[in-house]
Amino acid sequence: MADETVNTNREWEPKIIAFLCNWCSYAGADLAGTGRLQYPPYVRVIRVPCSGRINPIYIIKALTDGADGVMVSGCHPGDCHYLSGNMYARRRFTVLKKLLTTAGIDPDRVHFTWVSASEGGRFADVVREVTEKVMKLGPNRTCEYAENVLGGNRI
Amino acid sequence: MSFEIQKEKIKQICRELLEKGEVDVIIGYTAGEIEGTRIPYIFSKPEEADKLEWDERCTPNLCTYLHGRKDKVGIVAKPCDVRGIVNYLVESQLKKDKVYIIGVDCAGMKDDQGNPSPGCGECSVKQPPLYDMRVENPDVTNEKGAPPEAADPADLMEKLERFQNELQKCILCYSCRQACYGCYCQVCFMDRGVPNWQPATPDLGAKMVYHLGRAMHLSGRCVECGACERTCASGVNIRYLIKEISDFIEKTYGYKTGLDAEDQPVMTTYAFDDKEIGFLGGDADA
Repeated sequence: MADETVNTNREWEPKIIAFLCNWCSYAGADLAGTGRLQYPPYVRVIRVPCSGRINPIYIIKALTDGADGVMVSGCHPGDCHYLSGNMYARRRFTVLKKLLTTAGIDPDRVHFTWVSASEGGRFADVVREVTEKVMKLGPNRTCEYAENVLGGNRI
Repeated sequence: MSFEIQKEKIKQICRELLEKGEVDVIIGYTAGEIEGTRIPYIFSKPEEADKLEWDERCTPNLCTYLHGRKDKVGIVAKPCDVRGIVNYLVESQLKKDKVYIIGVDCAGMKDDQGNPSPGCGECSVKQPPLYDMRVENPDVTNEKGAPPEAADPADLMEKLERFQNELQKCILCYSCRQACYGCYCQVCFMDRGVPNWQPATPDLGAKMVYHLGRAMHLSGRCVECGACERTCASGVNIRYLIKEISDFIEKTYGYKTGLDAEDQPVMTTYAFDDKEIGFLGGDADA
């Protein structure tokens, strides 16, 4: 018997993983909170020391484990706490996005941006934009075989 | 047949190198047990040079056997092997004085059916970019071959289907990793216990993590030798992914792997005016 306390009629909600750098974007998200700015509640924030710390496999793993979207945000280029971490990250993310697109994963599921510690409003805007794009795409099915592959069967 | 002329020249060079004591060992090709196959051949006596082979079946990337060696090695290297060696030099995996490169012009390798070997059809580097001794073939130019006929699908869904079609064949045996010259990590991210990237079941997600992760690790490092595709027992062609980002990197950052030993690895450098392709509010595609 189904558990009646579990609401199975609930509409699908996107699950978005946000990797935020400790020094800028995380503080920016904090500012958005203390400023009581409204933004969609679907992001799960993971705090990392620097955007250069983010291993591209984190993003791949998030997508294959069922996240509907991934968002990465760091300090603006030139403002990195560790001087050049986000510069390395910029090349890495550019290439990663190209790779994911080639593999057939929708580029609108993965977003990179820069948010500084004083840009609480921008953080809210970015989250709103990302959520909108991910909601338009619907649930992440890249990890299930497509209809034309193996007759849609999963093994 | 210029392969024969090249073969005699290679034998002579190798014999002389070992007689003079310029190198400790030579890495080259010899005949395998199955007729027509060519396997890596590592030897240290001058008379053993007679067993060397050079023809259009010498497909293995010998540069893999160079990694981690302490002695001075002479290597019979095709242009793609040389690109691998150059990338080892770029990544400080090798010292130039520890290797003697016998660069051989390569007219393109063939598989056992006589078709161009994976990667050879569209090859654009047929003369070794770095060498101590070059074995020339006057017929070979650096002209780019014709790209494969099957065009890349433009539609995202078709791209995903193509990717999944390849992955569906994969059995996660990691042969491609073992054959790859660039996969020299002491502990591969897929072999790690902590953090454990590999899910318990070898399902599509596990394969995606492996192949996308490996493609990412090889970004700007792939020399298009085709070893991964040749070695695969299930016929998975994942090289097209890496090829696409290699082309992208060449176009965006102007870097082609393994041509200049003075280069910096492209993914460990940056420029202040790097394009932000695909970023929110970033630049348009190059």
